[in-house]
Amino acid sequence: MNDVPEKKDQGKGMREGHFLDLKLPIGWLLSAYGLLLLVYGLLAKKEIYARSLGVNVNAVWGGLMLVIGAGFLIVALVKRSRKKA
Amino acid sequence: MSSVIILNAVDYAIIGGYILVMILVGYTLRKYMKTGEDFFLSGRSLPSWITGLAFLSANLGALEVIGMVANSAKYGIATVHFYWVGAIPAMVFLGIFMMPFYYGSRVRTVPEYLKLRYNEATRGLNAISFAIMTVLMSGISLYAMALLFKIMLGWSLTGSIFFAAIVVLIYVFWGGLSSSIYNEVIQFFLIWLGLLPVVFLGLKEVGGFTGFVAKLQEPLLHSVKYLGTSANPLGVDWFGVVMGLGFVLSFGYWTTDFLVVQRALASKNLNAARMTPIIASFPKMLVPIIVVIPGLVALLVLPEFGQAALPTADYNSALILLMKHYLPNGVLGLAITALLASFMSGMAGNVTAFNCIWTYDIYGAYIRKGRPDAHYLKVGKYTTVVGIAVSVGTAYIVQSFPNLMDYMQLVFSFFNAPLFATFLLGMFWKGATPWGGFWGLLVGILTAAGHYVLYRAGVLSYHSDMAANFYQAWWAWLADFVVTIGVSLFTAKRDPRELAGLVFGLTAKPKAEARWYARPAVWGALAIAIAVLLNIIFW
Repeated sequence: MNDVPEKKDQGKGMREGHFLDLKLPIGWLLSAYGLLLLVYGLLAKKEIYARSLGVNVNAVWGGLMLVIGAGFLIVALVKRSRKKA
Repeated sequence: MSSVIILNAVDYAIIGGYILVMILVGYTLRKYMKTGEDFFLSGRSLPSWITGLAFLSANLGALEVIGMVANSAKYGIATVHFYWVGAIPAMVFLGIFMMPFYYGSRVRTVPEYLKLRYNEATRGLNAISFAIMTVLMSGISLYAMALLFKIMLGWSLTGSIFFAAIVVLIYVFWGGLSSSIYNEVIQFFLIWLGLLPVVFLGLKEVGGFTGFVAKLQEPLLHSVKYLGTSANPLGVDWFGVVMGLGFVLSFGYWTTDFLVVQRALASKNLNAARMTPIIASFPKMLVPIIVVIPGLVALLVLPEFGQAALPTADYNSALILLMKHYLPNGVLGLAITALLASFMSGMAGNVTAFNCIWTYDIYGAYIRKGRPDAHYLKVGKYTTVVGIAVSVGTAYIVQSFPNLMDYMQLVFSFFNAPLFATFLLGMFWKGATPWGGFWGLLVGILTAAGHYVLYRAGVLSYHSDMAANFYQAWWAWLADFVVTIGVSLFTAKRDPRELAGLVFGLTAKPKAEARWYARPAVWGALAIAIAVLLNIIFW
């Protein structure tokens, strides 16, 4: 792991990274939301989109959130596997 | 209000998912809380992207969002002053100039800095007023949340208050500041993802920015152009905006309020601490997208706020009515979750700040001094329970003002506005003496309170309540500034050796600078440049 040597001003009590990698809970939460909205958007009746100007906002937004959530998970997992290597 | 929003199972699943994740995060953090610093300052170990987003989110509470949408519906684009004038310069100043003294001196709290720089009395004054204000705010926002969910969703007041209080209690008790910060970062993403569908659908319906230009009155579309004229929707002149809001209120809040400064103190090193507010300043500049646009859309599409608006129109309901207007079940649940998350993280933020100040600056300073660290860790954990109990009590007592944001500004301006003068002189003038600091701060707070009484009594008059708040902040700051200098000239100074690391000129410059692309000054300058550019575009 390329630990940059410029961090000399850290006092004692510093640890490797923090207690937990926040990218994981964010990634899981957004992916789950995205998937739920996407599936709901594809299954629900079209009438509920009258108020959203005819846009199937659940499917569109669900897809987008799934991509963002997956992005967080990929970054977190890549970082973790690199740390192990 | 006939606008009861009806949620379905998908919406409730989204709300439930958020609660579940927060409790799991708290549970995971539980075993890492070994020392006081772990609990109160996240072991000073967080990277700057996390502290930066938390720094922003700590201020992006639901009341702030709802209040700013209301302001935008009332005042139009001039609301951007709360961001581009009233936040960015102060955030950049904190990162570049003040953080070396805060983080570099290894203080754990803002009042602790005051003790080291001035004296015990100054610390006590600040610690006690901050603790009271924080618990008050926590109670106010808890009540506001419960009221909102009652009107919007038909949930019972008591049910909402206790449900939110217990969830926050569980995860703060387990994870301390880390729980609070992690919640804020998650909230950051939820608030954007929850509200952007309203923004996009609103823009689609009104026909984008050209639709605003075609359909809205001219003064609502400019931030600066009408400030000096009677058509100015804010009712505040340029001096009030620049000095009251941009200088005193904004610097007072962003640079001395422990609620936000605490996030930077949790950073893993000095460079990360300095980058914290500067990283936050970039998304902060963009917040008008999710508050000003919905406010303007509300004016055009909701009959309540259009041409025929009654003088009694409740602008604070604008955002909720827009959510009902545009969002089908599904994304609706997401938007509700975003509001819930920002209420809960606001409460968690208040409670963790209160915890820390109570434990270190009141309990540890006046009640039980010099106990081992483990004792204070335990006190901090149990203070969480007390802080939440007091918030719940306050929630039942609180009565709200018509415009929630004005009320928040009022409370801040009593305590925070003068404080910035005390810090400015403390950090940048060696000559400020301990008693100069104390009397300056006290006279500043009294000036703010006195100004408020005179304004309410009709002795002083302004075009709007907001103008009164801005000017009150300005006079309080000036009183503090002048009295601190005046008293300092006649009272004993501290030994300069004791002030090393605390005052400019007596502190070694941070040597090993990061590479140019990681330097706070570079990013700070960029943030200021973009803020200036945005002001010119929306002039």
